[in-house]
Amino acid sequence: MTDRQQAETTPDPVPDGGYAAQRLHLLREDPRTGADRRRALAELTDRWLSGLFSTAAAGLGGVALVAVGGYGRGELSPRSDLDLLLLHDGGTKGAAVPTLAEQIWYPVWDNGIALDHSVRDLSTARRVAAEDLKVQLGLLDARHLAGDPGLTTTLRSAVLADWRSAAARRLPELHELCRDRAERHGDLSFLLEPDLKEARGGLRDLSALDAVAASWIADAPRAGLGAAGTRLRDVRDTLHLVTGRATDRLNLQEQDQVAAELGVLDADILLRQVYEAARTIAYASDVTWREVDRVLRSRSGRLRRVNRLGFGGSGRGGGPLERSPLAEGVVEQDGEAVLATAARPATDPVLPLRAAAAAAQAGLTLSPSTVRRLAAETRPLPVPWPDEAREQLVTLLGAGESAVPVWEALEAEGLIARLLPDWDRVRCRPQRNAVHRWTVDRHLVETAVRAGALTRRVARPDLLLVAALLHDIGKGWPGDHSEAGEVITRDVASRLGFPKQDVETLALLVRHHLLLVETATRRDLDDPATVAAITSVVGSTGALELLHALTEADALATGPAAWSSWRSTLVGDLAARAATALDLAGPAPAATASEPSAEEERLAVEAARTEGPVLSLRAEAEQAHDPAVEPMGVTLTLALPERPAILPTVAGVLALHRLTVRSAVIRELDPVGAGRVLALTWQVSAEYGEVPEAARLRADIRRALDGGLDVSRRLAERDASAPRRRGSAAPPPRVTVAPGGSASATVLEVRAHDAPGLLHRIGRALEATGVRVRTARISTLGADAVDAFYVTGPDDLPLPPSRATEVARAVERALS
Amino acid sequence: MKLITAVIKPHRLDEVKDALQAFGVHGLTVTEASGYGRQRGHTEVYRGAEYTVDLVPKVRIEVLVEDDDAEGLIDVIVKAARTGKIGDGKVWSVPVDTTVRVRTGERGPDAL
Repeated sequence: MTDRQQAETTPDPVPDGGYAAQRLHLLREDPRTGADRRRALAELTDRWLSGLFSTAAAGLGGVALVAVGGYGRGELSPRSDLDLLLLHDGGTKGAAVPTLAEQIWYPVWDNGIALDHSVRDLSTARRVAAEDLKVQLGLLDARHLAGDPGLTTTLRSAVLADWRSAAARRLPELHELCRDRAERHGDLSFLLEPDLKEARGGLRDLSALDAVAASWIADAPRAGLGAAGTRLRDVRDTLHLVTGRATDRLNLQEQDQVAAELGVLDADILLRQVYEAARTIAYASDVTWREVDRVLRSRSGRLRRVNRLGFGGSGRGGGPLERSPLAEGVVEQDGEAVLATAARPATDPVLPLRAAAAAAQAGLTLSPSTVRRLAAETRPLPVPWPDEAREQLVTLLGAGESAVPVWEALEAEGLIARLLPDWDRVRCRPQRNAVHRWTVDRHLVETAVRAGALTRRVARPDLLLVAALLHDIGKGWPGDHSEAGEVITRDVASRLGFPKQDVETLALLVRHHLLLVETATRRDLDDPATVAAITSVVGSTGALELLHALTEADALATGPAAWSSWRSTLVGDLAARAATALDLAGPAPAATASEPSAEEERLAVEAARTEGPVLSLRAEAEQAHDPAVEPMGVTLTLALPERPAILPTVAGVLALHRLTVRSAVIRELDPVGAGRVLALTWQVSAEYGEVPEAARLRADIRRALDGGLDVSRRLAERDASAPRRRGSAAPPPRVTVAPGGSASATVLEVRAHDAPGLLHRIGRALEATGVRVRTARISTLGADAVDAFYVTGPDDLPLPPSRATEVARAVERALS
Repeated sequence: MKLITAVIKPHRLDEVKDALQAFGVHGLTVTEASGYGRQRGHTEVYRGAEYTVDLVPKVRIEVLVEDDDAEGLIDVIVKAARTGKIGDGKVWSVPVDTTVRVRTGERGPDAL
């Protein structure tokens, strides 16, 4: 087929038998391949064009034929365009130059070769380059072919000088162009039908790197870059020959033949090679562009400083770098997350995940040197993982789009494979499936990103996110990937330190992640057996809502064809019917608070006696004495006679002390029959540094309750002075009335993105509606808070349904 | 030649496909479709007012056949798609002027 199409597009070798025949021979019979063939084709073409030029120019001076763009770099792919510039000195030659041009262009066209041509004098070439970035980039590769060599040399040095002097303005333009292209064509290393040239990590990015190097502003890390470029060009050459067209898109249908022609065992291996090459290029691009930004920023910063200190004061260059804290051991600097000076990677195994989560939540990337240092210095996590590690993983996954670059940075240095050894099987793994867009690993990360937007629909966002990350982990193993995935998931989830029940839920989600969509589109929804097939598998509404959200996230992350309103309607209908059936079978038991602990009882008695707040604080982790393991946090137990505004006040004081609440239980006791006492048990950990002493907390809580400390104002002031960050786009908060919650109280469920002072704000909002909080269960799962408040009206009775809805709306408004 | 179009319930697709294969049909086109007929979508009561808005998910099947096969094929589809409940769908046929197989340029019955 290659030969036939080649012959079809090559006309009879009458006018230029020499070139056409030699070209055909080179592409079809010559043993040379790869870079050798590209160079040979360029040389052959050079000779031919020089011949054409010298015949046609016949003594005409002040004219040169110049190769630009890819041809300028001296390599031609079988179906590459010829980029040619006929350069003249602007002298008065009348029609001579246009005639000369025609005498060169026509034979090229007649040979069926695509031609990108221009005729310009030196100043026009420079002017057009100044206006059009693409022309400028092409001219950077200008190479003399024929005619007056002095003219070409002058052009080259002028164009390079222009490029260097305007670099501060033009490099950001080029960066924008690259970003735009990446947006449109996606990531070469994750697409199943990638564009070898235009996609991110493709050949165009490679030329952009050369252009950056030519500006003398920055240079890319060269390791592996040459080999990566050669690999992509070899694949593109073969694609041109196989299809007989100048296409750069490696379609599914061509992949087998391209692999065979290249002598690669199969298309999967071919794609893996392409992906590895693209990752090298994309990584080099990221590093280079960051360096460019940094250099340009520091240049303009220096200028500003000089202007400001116009009187020649004490500006000592650099100045202190601005750093603002993101998490323990992690700070923001220059738009990137880096390690704090106090960070100790060698003794802090959670640090990579903490840094990644903090970066992703703040919408930042991890600095490459930070990731390298983390990879070199951190020890592996203990198994099972400590709670914090698991929480940080969930926080990272829940950060939405901004988790992707952070994940990739960890991946590039092998940190992901170290955290999740099973990841290696899906890494860069192509999927031979027309519905899928992405490689397996990227599909998993994308599914987690999509799941992040659905976290308000489920009571366990952490399980949803981890299931999303693992649902296709069985791909690459023989047999059904859901079955293999179930086994791997059970193992991974146990290593991650999930309790047994959660491990089972995760295994179930992975095993049945296709159940809803397959059943909904193939079975009769009116048939009770269809619904029964679902309910018997999932068993509870909690698992059902997780499976529904996972189904949607998975389909959204698959490709445009996988999730339509058609599918969504069917799946939604099935899920609703299954939910109804599960509710009829017996509503989910409203989780009631457990019995009060001895500590709570003791403090409650004391509080009732002293009529003031009493509080105890103790370290939570039993491994706290192991110096290598940071204590995970402390348990704070607090009891005080009931009075208004306890929840917002105490939560506010904790937030002021920069304590993050991981979970909390609030309950009402009447220990001595002399009035109600609220007992609050908090699992808190310090955002930075250490947990403050109990005496200080007690004093502040007392002051806040007495009105001596305005918690709201202090928190607002602190928020105002905190640096503004782009952050990740978390889904909006959601407050609902739990159906059939409890006989003695109305249950409000609050699901929101966790933030400092969130509980304080919820408490204030509840207080403002005039309801009383009798009991509460607060949990923070990664970056999401999932709280249940048992509230009553002033009459100690559950709220009427319409009033309950009003309260829920009011709280939701207050949080939005 | 005739073009037979059937709009059926999604979950009957596998049965209809099997039946068509048994009948000797070599190719068909399936589209995810939405619509309503006498069934009028879902009817729901919201705050006392009845309203119907939803389009119900359906599958649309198209098959090209020779005239003589058309009636038999329609029967096959109807039998395979029937559940006996409202919303089972509809089957119709229209005459076709020209058929060309794109790859080879064959026309008429050869292109089926």
